[in-house]
Amino acid sequence: MDQLLQHLVNTLIMGGTYALLGIGLTLIFGIMRIVNFTHGELYTFGAYMMYFFATILGMNFFVSIAFAIAAGMVLGALIEFTLLRNKRGADIDTTMLLMIGAWIIFQNVEQLTWGGIAKSIPSPLPEQPLTLGPVSLSWLRAMVLVVALALIAATYVVINRTKLGKAMRATFQDSNTAALMGVNINAIYTTTFGLGSALAAAAGALLGPVFVVTPTMGDLASLKAFAIVILGGLGNISGAAIGGFILAFAEEIGAGYISSGYRDAMGFVIIIIVLLFKPTGLFARTERVG
Amino acid sequence: MLEIRNLVCCYGKVTALKGISLKVPANKLVVLVGANGAGKSTTLRAISGIVPASRGQIFFNGEEITGLAASRILARGIAHCPEGRRVFGQMTVLENLEMGCYLRTDAKGIADDIDRILGLFPRLAERRKQIAGTLSGGEQQMLAIGRAMMSRPKLIMFDEPSLGLAPNIVEQTFNIIKGIRESGTTVLMVEQNAFAALDMCDYAYLLEAGTMALEGPGERLINDPHVREAYLGAGMHA
Repeated sequence: MDQLLQHLVNTLIMGGTYALLGIGLTLIFGIMRIVNFTHGELYTFGAYMMYFFATILGMNFFVSIAFAIAAGMVLGALIEFTLLRNKRGADIDTTMLLMIGAWIIFQNVEQLTWGGIAKSIPSPLPEQPLTLGPVSLSWLRAMVLVVALALIAATYVVINRTKLGKAMRATFQDSNTAALMGVNINAIYTTTFGLGSALAAAAGALLGPVFVVTPTMGDLASLKAFAIVILGGLGNISGAAIGGFILAFAEEIGAGYISSGYRDAMGFVIIIIVLLFKPTGLFARTERVG
Repeated sequence: MLEIRNLVCCYGKVTALKGISLKVPANKLVVLVGANGAGKSTTLRAISGIVPASRGQIFFNGEEITGLAASRILARGIAHCPEGRRVFGQMTVLENLEMGCYLRTDAKGIADDIDRILGLFPRLAERRKQIAGTLSGGEQQMLAIGRAMMSRPKLIMFDEPSLGLAPNIVEQTFNIIKGIRESGTTVLMVEQNAFAALDMCDYAYLLEAGTMALEGPGERLINDPHVREAYLGAGMHA
């Protein structure tokens, strides 16, 4: 029982960052119909930016997180502006190939810039773990959970409670009609890609200090993000948030009760099961006819 | 108020409009009739800046608006109520109306206009928090019209407002459109239901395969033998 509680706490912590990754990816797919293979690289980029601001420049830890997220947003907006802007209306295969190419380039640039040796980011939080009855967790991981939840909440508010969010949802549902309402579709696309990328960078900046930072860390993050998005249903934002926690739960339980070697395999087991039994995702909306 | 001169529009290699000209005077209800694929919707889409004009010019209140972004054209006072209603199906009635005034920033005026439109369409007022996709076809059409009115347009364009609606709802929709014209807003309407459209309009244009075939007051087109034969299904009675 105590062990299960500990697993549940771990689930929450990983789930928060997985949810960030998933929401970012599903947002971009839902609104732009772009399968964003650079998503994992934005995660890596966020982690390296965290290393750059916090460790190399020695800036405040929390300010560094904010800067890393902002850098991710800028890079995402640049990707959209330079690579995707003039591919509007191109078929999904074209943009997919383009994004795969960008993924390879980003990864190699990261390797070239930072070298292949893993970097660690020391955190200023107390080393002594936080003990709550039978459960213990480090202050760092608790911070990761709190920041991730705050970012999920902020994303929810932006999408559901602001004028920008309303324009994004309108574009998602019918971009032509949104344009007739005066929505600048190009600006919405750039913002969406920036926002989705910022969430990936946030996940990287948060997990960078927990693990270590390497140029290829984004590959697995990318695959997991796709698993979460498939789980939640393509384009479904709350589905992606819940999907993040389900994946984290499956990984924890798989690692804890089967074998820790199976942790990363759990995501793919889930993809296979979901695609077999509910290919539209667990939370698919009923399609509107006519 | 609106004037089009020699407008040419192409989709890839297909020329949808082959140089049409048209005038919509202020405070009039002008209709554009024609068969499927004649280029009626393309004309409206070109006016709103959704489809680029390959050649020709569009003027609004004496100023050229050819090539302007859709948001600029809307800001000048041209609203477009698209074919098939196109309400935002996953948003509430209220959110749809708010999308209609996306470019406006006068909170007080917006609140007043929402009240005014909900007063005009009591069915929508009852359903203001309901998701638009769950409304009936007629209610969605009212919402689409209300949404287009939210930008306080000087000219409002309707694309096939009767499409897919029950006959009594069609009549109601046309009455609303006549009411909009009477309240001082200029109307340009595309309609396949040629008889009803010609009957209610001040002036009409007949579009055939991307060219203007005929124009004149509604009653003249109704009595034109070619129009009767091809569009009003009156051939066999004559």
